[in-house]
Amino acid sequence: MSGAPPRGRETDPASTTAEGMTATSSALLELTNVQIFYDKAIEAVRDVSLSVKKGSLVALLGANGAGKTTVLKAISGILFPEDGTVEGGTIEFDGKNIAAMEPDEIVRSGIVLVPEGRQLFDTLTVEENLIMGGYTTTQRNAAEALERIYDMFPALTGRRHSVSGYLSGGEQQMVALGRALMSKPKLLMLDEPTLGLAPQIIEEIFSTISALVREEGTTVLLVEQNAQLALSVADYGYIMENGRVVLDDTPERLLRNDDICEFYLGFSDAGARKNMRDVKHYKRRKRWLS
Amino acid sequence: MDYFLDLVISGLMVGALYGIIAMGFAMIYKATGVVNFAQGEVLMLVAYIAYTLTTLIDMPFWLLIPATIMIGMIVGLIVEFLFIRPMIGEPVFATVMVTIGLAVFIRSLVVLLWDAFPHEFVTSLSEQVIEISGIRLYPSQIVAFITYLVLMAAFWSFFRYSRIGIAMRAVANKETVALLMGIRIKHVYAVAWALSSIIAGIAGVLFASIYDLDPTISAMGLNAFPAAILGGLDSVLGSGFGGLIIGVVENLTGGYLSTGLKSVSGFVVIILVLMVRPYGLFGEPEIERV
Repeated sequence: MSGAPPRGRETDPASTTAEGMTATSSALLELTNVQIFYDKAIEAVRDVSLSVKKGSLVALLGANGAGKTTVLKAISGILFPEDGTVEGGTIEFDGKNIAAMEPDEIVRSGIVLVPEGRQLFDTLTVEENLIMGGYTTTQRNAAEALERIYDMFPALTGRRHSVSGYLSGGEQQMVALGRALMSKPKLLMLDEPTLGLAPQIIEEIFSTISALVREEGTTVLLVEQNAQLALSVADYGYIMENGRVVLDDTPERLLRNDDICEFYLGFSDAGARKNMRDVKHYKRRKRWLS
Repeated sequence: MDYFLDLVISGLMVGALYGIIAMGFAMIYKATGVVNFAQGEVLMLVAYIAYTLTTLIDMPFWLLIPATIMIGMIVGLIVEFLFIRPMIGEPVFATVMVTIGLAVFIRSLVVLLWDAFPHEFVTSLSEQVIEISGIRLYPSQIVAFITYLVLMAAFWSFFRYSRIGIAMRAVANKETVALLMGIRIKHVYAVAWALSSIIAGIAGVLFASIYDLDPTISAMGLNAFPAAILGGLDSVLGSGFGGLIIGVVENLTGGYLSTGLKSVSGFVVIILVLMVRPYGLFGEPEIERV
């Protein structure tokens, strides 16, 4: 490899990560040195700091088991059913520490998570799912939001009274996204929204997401396996490995980074696709930390 | 034939009461995943309090029902707050054990506070037997059946159209995701217990007004249990309907075979039904969509 891989926090002075620097005034979400344990014994996330600026789309990338989903669950306050706890660090949203808040308070303050695998209430109809998304708002706002979602996803209009468990994967993702948007969140967190979907649907979902950010000013924190796709729409990217943030930079620079290209996109320097065996071998050989 | 019809009709009347109690079982099971073995005892407690109220003030029947609803709600909320809420997050089995303990506790409490002798529960309903085309019925039996129909309709629309009703189904379906919608699980639990106690109380008052009020009334809970299993523990309306079937089967067995077999027959029916449909007649098998 050409030289040591650059460490994001050293190369990018704009990033407000580890060293406990004060958040820039526009940061909506700010994680500082967050440490998460499962069962009080297994350290799932170590010393993670990341910041999401208002109105931006931030991608959180990493291999399976890197701790991305755990970070999202911590922000939403739903680690406790799995015996997870935030042991160290702070999670600030809009200037308030939300680490000790109840999940419903976090939703009310404007953070909504679309969990991995869509997780619809599959015995409920499409409309009932959407109504649940607007549970924290008033009845009238929910009714308005409902119309807005049907405008946004016209395909759902004809399916509003279908049981959501029997929808196609793409339609289910639309319901999951629509359900999250019912409460008009300030920060929308998406956990692998394209998992198991057809390329055409993926494109549709991504254009919806970028429209939300660019046109409606929603802030998005996106976790994706498909790094290239995620970086093509993101304003900033973080890369996690083994429970730590190992790199963070602008998408342009991340995409130019040879290690990222090798590790996540499977391209060699020449741009030729490597076969999986090489990538796997590479993975074993090379770790940024540890 | 007349004998048969007589048995069926009076079976339906008893079955209506079973159905009402079974709805209470299903309500709690659906929302919290716990089988409440204290259902019959809650019924008993509410009935005794309502009885005391009728001895203190002269109360017309139309006032007795709202009074029972109030008492049921308060009893349900107190029980939930004192005994069930501390168990949230503990294994379901532990909570079930608490309800068994609660059953013994309430039974003793009632004997302690009142006594173990039968009391006549006097309501302003007339005791005159009504004869409708050869079938003789007490007015209170007819009232019980109408109450049953009203409750069935009320719960049908409650689960379909009210936000908290839909939220209950959502919590039953995916609890963690319900948290992500901002649904307060504790509220849902409290509402389930309150509603369940209300309908148990109504059943208790109706039963006591048809027969007498004594501590054996708590056995109604166990008698109604087959109805809930038969209809499907997770289906409130199904459980309600299961009550009618159990009521009729019991009456027919008592009428044609022997009175001793009466209460056994209900359990025989559920064993047979569960062999074919393990989730009950109207319960939902899990939708598995990979």
